[in-house]
Amino acid sequence: MVSIVFGIGITALAGALAAIAGAAENTESDIGSQGDPNSQVQLAPQMGYLHRIFNKAIAGEPPAWGLWIALGAGLAWAFMAMQINPILAIVLGAALATFVQGVYATTAYLGRTASLAKFGQPVFIDVLKSMTTVTMAHAFIAIFATVTVCHLMNAALGHPFPLPLLGLVWGIALGAAGSATGNPFYGKERQYQNQKYGAGVPIAASGNIVRYAEAGERNSLDNGWFSARLGGPASGVCFGLIVFLELWRTVLFEQIGAGWGAIIIGILIILVFTVIDRYIEVWARKNYGPYAKPEEASS
Amino acid sequence: MTAVAAKPAAGAAVDMPAMIIGIIILLVIIAATYFIVGPGLAFMALIGVIVGGILIGFGVHFVPVGGAPAAMGQAPGIATGVAMLAAGAGLAGLFGGAWAAQTTDNLLVIVITGAIGGGLMMAITCMFVTFIYVYGMGIPNASGKVAKDPITGDTQTEFKSQGTEGHGLPFVSYVGGVIGGLFGGAGGTLIYLMLLDVYKDELPAMMNALPAQILPIAISLAGIFAIGMFLVNAVLAAYNITGTIEGPHDPKFKRFPRAIVACATASALCGMVAIMIVAV
Repeated sequence: MVSIVFGIGITALAGALAAIAGAAENTESDIGSQGDPNSQVQLAPQMGYLHRIFNKAIAGEPPAWGLWIALGAGLAWAFMAMQINPILAIVLGAALATFVQGVYATTAYLGRTASLAKFGQPVFIDVLKSMTTVTMAHAFIAIFATVTVCHLMNAALGHPFPLPLLGLVWGIALGAAGSATGNPFYGKERQYQNQKYGAGVPIAASGNIVRYAEAGERNSLDNGWFSARLGGPASGVCFGLIVFLELWRTVLFEQIGAGWGAIIIGILIILVFTVIDRYIEVWARKNYGPYAKPEEASS
Repeated sequence: MTAVAAKPAAGAAVDMPAMIIGIIILLVIIAATYFIVGPGLAFMALIGVIVGGILIGFGVHFVPVGGAPAAMGQAPGIATGVAMLAAGAGLAGLFGGAWAAQTTDNLLVIVITGAIGGGLMMAITCMFVTFIYVYGMGIPNASGKVAKDPITGDTQTEFKSQGTEGHGLPFVSYVGGVIGGLFGGAGGTLIYLMLLDVYKDELPAMMNALPAQILPIAISLAGIFAIGMFLVNAVLAAYNITGTIEGPHDPKFKRFPRAIVACATASALCGMVAIMIVAV
């Protein structure tokens, strides 16, 4: 009983940390234009729209985060093997991984922007100076929180994978959840605020991203502020729920029915999310459309 | 031939000579492994690895991925890369399967636990994609590939906004995502289990150590090989899809036989290497 209560406590803590990690990951990615919306940041100068948006797509979010979290986890693991206190070891591991992220961000911005030189897009050194540190700060929070989650899984809940391997697994999952949830909010809602609300961006408008703010030119900190309102928290809740429910069903129900308990609970949770998804879809169809009569919509 | 004159490579046609060559390579690898390690545990592990690879490659075709256009609401699907999203789900499943392998020896329970882990990750992620589209951006789901959702029968075209190919995740895409996660989680877990059995069996004699001492090494080795093979199969399947797919209702889904042959061949080669490092 004590071990189950302990397990639930660890599960809740891991879920909360994962939520923080997801929110920080998405905000970092949006400030750096790392995910799929980067295509528009890269495209805009080619269409004649020069901008001051930070452009640091190093790789897709999942492999990039897989690298950073695995790096942070591996370093923390090495420090723990040197008998350093786990919390300090995780902080040190996350800090070193953050510097690697900073190096990648710098080279990615310079390289990507330099490739746009023939379209007249300048490299803004002030953008590099002010944005890189902000993305690094968000990356540190995400790496620290995720490595801590992995450490809890390994040390407190007894998962067999070593810390670096858990870091790779959950780093890729973090990037996948964060990019899936947060990318559309940044890509459509923020980059294309000049387009109609409640509709996708027409393909003909590609590249015409919003480049001006209330005063002066828009920069990526404005984008971080915007996506931290919904895209970031939603990504955080998404990743937090993934971690929490995966641990919760295992910790509480693994022992029931020789492993079938966790499977049945997993199926029930999937069904619950399916019902919620369908409810939202039907709600949207009732409230938002239709935009044309079915027979007229041939495009 | 110039690029202009070249035919688009996106057809669903199966290239029979390539398929036959792939199958021959597969059979040669299986025969070579049989010849080298005999009909024991290591050979069965190779077969398990190939089945796992096929499950992953097949599962990736279900995952609705819209790539960059989805991030602008220009195309339906999840706004990220095919291979990476499938890897996120499959590895979450591998996490659950590896954990279950600690407490039970029942192969079926472990593989299904892994599958549910992948499906759970995709269910939550897909639900949040719909949530963001509907409540964050005010955009309803609309498929660009079919006039009616094959599961719910909802008409799609009138909800497509002007100048786009559709947006969001229609219900059939959501179900496809969950099924893709299930297959991916099951495949990754099966590869892990097969390799773990071989390593647990062979490493003690090879390293002259007790089984309990080599267990962490066996788990780490099997885990990293499973992740590596997962990525190999997911990327191969992603090439087959050529970027984006809406789910099982997408015409591109019919290309999956090519991916199955390719994934089986690649898994056989990777599996042979993974087994040879201990079994020879």
